[in-house]
Amino acid sequence: MANSVAGDPSTHAPTIDLQEIQATVLRLRPAPYFGSHVALRINDVRAGRELLRRLIPHVDSAANWWKPASAWLSIVISYPGLEALGVPQTSLASFPEAFRVGMAARSRELRDEGVNDPKNWEPLFGNGQIHIGLNAFSDSEEKWRHVIATARAQYEALSGVSVLLVQDFGAQPGDLNSLGYKDGIDQPPIEGSGVDPLPGQGRPIKAGEFILGYPGEAGAPLPMPQPDILGRNGTYVGFRKYQSRVGAFNRFLQANGSTEAERELLAAKLVGRWRSGAPLTLAPDADNPDLGADPRRNNNFDYANDPHGRQIPFGAHIRRMNPRDTQLTRLTDVNIHRVIRRGTTFGKPYDPNALSEQDDQVPRGAIFLFISAKAMATMEFLQQEWISEGNFIGIGEERDPIIGRQEEGAIFTIPKQPVRRRIHGIETFNVLRGGEYFFMPSISALNWLANLSG
Amino acid sequence: MAQERETVADKIAAVREVYADAPEVGRVGLEKMMAELQAAAVDHAQQRAASAGRTGLRQGKVSELTSIVTFAPGGAKRLRVLLKLLGGNFQGADKVGTLHDMRFVFLDNDTRLLFATTYDGDWDTYIDDFSTKIPDALDVLFSNMVGYPPKGMRDPAIKDWIAGNQITADAWYVASPNLTVPEVRRLEKVGAVVDEFLDKIG
Repeated sequence: MANSVAGDPSTHAPTIDLQEIQATVLRLRPAPYFGSHVALRINDVRAGRELLRRLIPHVDSAANWWKPASAWLSIVISYPGLEALGVPQTSLASFPEAFRVGMAARSRELRDEGVNDPKNWEPLFGNGQIHIGLNAFSDSEEKWRHVIATARAQYEALSGVSVLLVQDFGAQPGDLNSLGYKDGIDQPPIEGSGVDPLPGQGRPIKAGEFILGYPGEAGAPLPMPQPDILGRNGTYVGFRKYQSRVGAFNRFLQANGSTEAERELLAAKLVGRWRSGAPLTLAPDADNPDLGADPRRNNNFDYANDPHGRQIPFGAHIRRMNPRDTQLTRLTDVNIHRVIRRGTTFGKPYDPNALSEQDDQVPRGAIFLFISAKAMATMEFLQQEWISEGNFIGIGEERDPIIGRQEEGAIFTIPKQPVRRRIHGIETFNVLRGGEYFFMPSISALNWLANLSG
Repeated sequence: MAQERETVADKIAAVREVYADAPEVGRVGLEKMMAELQAAAVDHAQQRAASAGRTGLRQGKVSELTSIVTFAPGGAKRLRVLLKLLGGNFQGADKVGTLHDMRFVFLDNDTRLLFATTYDGDWDTYIDDFSTKIPDALDVLFSNMVGYPPKGMRDPAIKDWIAGNQITADAWYVASPNLTVPEVRRLEKVGAVVDEFLDKIG
């Protein structure tokens, strides 16, 4: 667990109810990481409630989350899932609209158009059939297999519940993602969570931005579903599955870099970090794997000395996803647009020699899980403002090079002296294959749902 | 295409019908303009204004917000004096970065305010940011209006109050629908630099 340092336990006791909050909200992805996502459909309301009853004893809370644990299981429920559990209408109506209609119906707000349009998604997604998601994480293969076997024993025993998908992930060489980078480094620090922020994370953000029932940055708690027992200590989880076009990515590096060093520098400029995770700000000329591997150093930087984007380009992925102290063109409070990220890689590992269009189709990519008390609104903001265009940071129509959907002839600009380098024809490297919005109830809320009657 | 023409013909007939009792200059003008109107009606499918989200219209990237709100007791006087301090200009809006223009017009003997702005993007994209970054500036302005929530920008009811006072326009024209405020500033800079460059090599 050497690479998964959460931060030093705080001298202040946690002020959020760790026993109620599900573990995944706070527990970092382990290193190495193994796990599975399971998608279930409830065909019979009684079976659905019985499933929850059987799973709840195995769902982990966030108590002592900064200490190592063997494995942990979490449950999320979609709006169709809440309906299938027979949640009363007044309660259903208290959820936000984006959550109620589902991610596919929010494609305009999410800018999921063209190749990312829900009509092109994998058949499993976008039609409301995923009701319950289970997620297991572990740092050991053996413990992962054990926890997922335990979960499987519960859902397989019920004929009123169908298994739609079991997606194993992790165990990637070096824990690199499917484009060959270490990822998931920067996470928002949460006030009252029980640990001090790691260097570079900034000041703790009000817990209510990430967990329902606590004050947010503006002072008041964010809107919460009713009744109180259902909403409190819960949160929202977004799920987006991306297919990585590794051939296209490698072809892009080859076409725009004539030496290995040039290609790796270009790869670093796209993200803002070298493949090891070392940020360009701290390692401007060459990768530094020791730096990339050290959570107390690999995020300890800001943009105070980079006002022109000559270290980390304005359009680089990490600068878009967390602009920190970058001077933005619009009055923005970065702290209210953060998400907790629990992404996982799936499929074949990154292959530096993959160059063909067939390679683009080899199943591999990212399952992006993002968590916040307003996850729908935040993801729609990020997609509109920080991913699908560059006006917020002064670069016009440029899009995020890693997760943006690129139009024909799209550009990526690398500021430098004497003249910026502008690359034409950047392609979409990660294609959206499906997604959904989920609610992650507290432990008490899960019990309330399991014990519904009628 | 035939269906589109039929719909246009219906719309033209409807316009002629409602103009039948318009003042003569309007009626005569309408007939003189008929060919142009017909062409415009066919073109409009391309330039149809979209919704700016919860309320308001949008063309490309540029949206409108129009509201008419009743002043709270003493509110008109307070706002007038404040605007006088600012010289009738709102340079502070530069900081917001999404506002193309903004107007404050006192109506009906200072009983009501027309507040209108042209801004980038969707209706509610940055309202939460205003609530945490500039709540006081907005509270000072809008506390002068009837029904302003007690906690102002930090009140959970603020978005409902803003939307409730807004009247979505029926028509919205924007000369350059793809030019956002940051893009205009960027092009101003680039234009100046290109001119300088051409001067040097010319």
